[in-house]
Amino acid sequence: MSEKLYAWLLRLYPANFRKEYGEEALQLVRDCQRDDKGFLLRLRFWLNLLADLAISLPREYRRVQPEALRARAALGPDGSPSFRSLPYAPPRFGALFFGSVLSLIMLSSIPRLIAHMGNGRPPGVPGPWPSPAQSSNPQGAGGGLAVTAGEAPKLDAAERQRVVEAVAANLKKYYVDRDMAIKMAVALAARQKAGEYDTLTEGPAFAELLTKQIREVSHDLHLEVIYSQRPLPDRPAGPSAERLAFYRRAMQESNCTFEKAEILPHRIGYLKLNSFPEPSVCGPTAKAAMARLNGAEAIIFDLRDNRGGYPDMVMLLAAYLFDHPEFFYNPRENTSERLWTRSPVPGNRLADKPAYVLTSARTFSGAEHFSYGLKMLKRATLVGEKTGGATDVGVFHRLDDHFGMGIRETRAINPYREPDWAVVGVEPNVKVKAADALTTAEALAFRVTSSLEK
Amino acid sequence: MPKRKLDPMPSAAFEILLALTGDDLHGYAIMRQVAAQTNGRVRLGPGTLYGSIQTLLEGKLIEEVDRREDARPGPERRRYYRLTAAGSERLRFEAERLADLLRVARAKKVLRGEYV
Repeated sequence: MSEKLYAWLLRLYPANFRKEYGEEALQLVRDCQRDDKGFLLRLRFWLNLLADLAISLPREYRRVQPEALRARAALGPDGSPSFRSLPYAPPRFGALFFGSVLSLIMLSSIPRLIAHMGNGRPPGVPGPWPSPAQSSNPQGAGGGLAVTAGEAPKLDAAERQRVVEAVAANLKKYYVDRDMAIKMAVALAARQKAGEYDTLTEGPAFAELLTKQIREVSHDLHLEVIYSQRPLPDRPAGPSAERLAFYRRAMQESNCTFEKAEILPHRIGYLKLNSFPEPSVCGPTAKAAMARLNGAEAIIFDLRDNRGGYPDMVMLLAAYLFDHPEFFYNPRENTSERLWTRSPVPGNRLADKPAYVLTSARTFSGAEHFSYGLKMLKRATLVGEKTGGATDVGVFHRLDDHFGMGIRETRAINPYREPDWAVVGVEPNVKVKAADALTTAEALAFRVTSSLEK
Repeated sequence: MPKRKLDPMPSAAFEILLALTGDDLHGYAIMRQVAAQTNGRVRLGPGTLYGSIQTLLEGKLIEEVDRREDARPGPERRRYYRLTAAGSERLRFEAERLADLLRVARAKKVLRGEYV
């Protein structure tokens, strides 16, 4: 495999280099493949190879150039400049073909890159962590506070000490299970005493290690220590009036991220939703979209580009799938009233129709809440890829200028045997590539609805 | 032309000359030897390796040798390279140049510790 790939790459070199050393270079790659076993070695080998390509290609082509330079400088016998044409063969067909394939690949990757970069959270959705006073909180698109790479100040012993102590203090003060909080604090103190942190000077690595260790003790994935290179604000910003106005405007402009609500052939309803927007802003849009799909025989929720949002919207939409109030698990919520769907929805005919949820590796947070809940209730078939595994870590606490932590302060009892989506994501029922999920779900829905008719 | 390409001598070319001071080696063995003599820091890729070998051949600092006794049947036959007299001379020159630089660095206390 690698050898074939490299044989292709070799075609990039000038013809005379290939003729002279092509076979030897291939032999070298074969030798390396034979001796470098194991993923990391292979990876290093390929990185090395690509770097080598970037350096040596221009050099090999420069080697061809001097001929042309000499020709230009040559003077005729009488001292007048002479012109010679170099006997250059026209490019081979293979070279042209290879060149066009390469440029096509590069060109087509540009929109993908742009789409990838633009794929943050939907416009104006406030950050994942609310101020401690808030109760109705958006579930943000995973990732937490932006941790930017680059030159970061080194950690010293004093800061490490401060962070470990602050983590322990915050756990004891806020964590739901006080005994467990003490266990975690003791474990961290012991590790610090043993000098385990002494060599850590990078903030992100330190935060990651602390996160891993408190999760190991508590088996609670809803705990996280984060590092932010940008100093954390003294008080986490709540949704100011200005931000809300911005959010409202962004939602109006994007039809509340309800990208499509239409009836596909065979009366299959299709809803493409790219976030779970705040119901007070987007409730009417959501209701209108669901009303449009009311006559469908089956319904597909396309959450492949959905990066999360507000739990209230998750509950609002889930309500359409039941004819009685249904318990809908939310790891963040323990007030029983908010854990039950407000079903039945007057006039709704979708409560007993087959439902499908399309997922991708970029399905995050609130969208995972929706998928997980419906899967556990066996109310929908999940089609697509395993979801992203956004970790919702409850309320944010500032530890110092650069460190913060998320602690879940409510304990919802998960009634299911499968743990929720934090870190691990939700496995779909039908595993297909995200790009094929819609066709697959349509076929499934068609089969079910046509057999129901008989 | 080759003279200009080897002046100043690129580090890859220097490493290859250094690798060939012992036995005659083929391409892959040169790559391994270079990795060994630099503690794995320098790993020459095929493009750089054979590009440099070509330049060194043109500069007559190394030569190809026929090692038929080693030849295996089929396409696996490898080309071996040997340092020429000019190559050894040039290698010594480069090494002395580096040694001079090292002396200056030592005098300016660039290096940590006294012995390196």
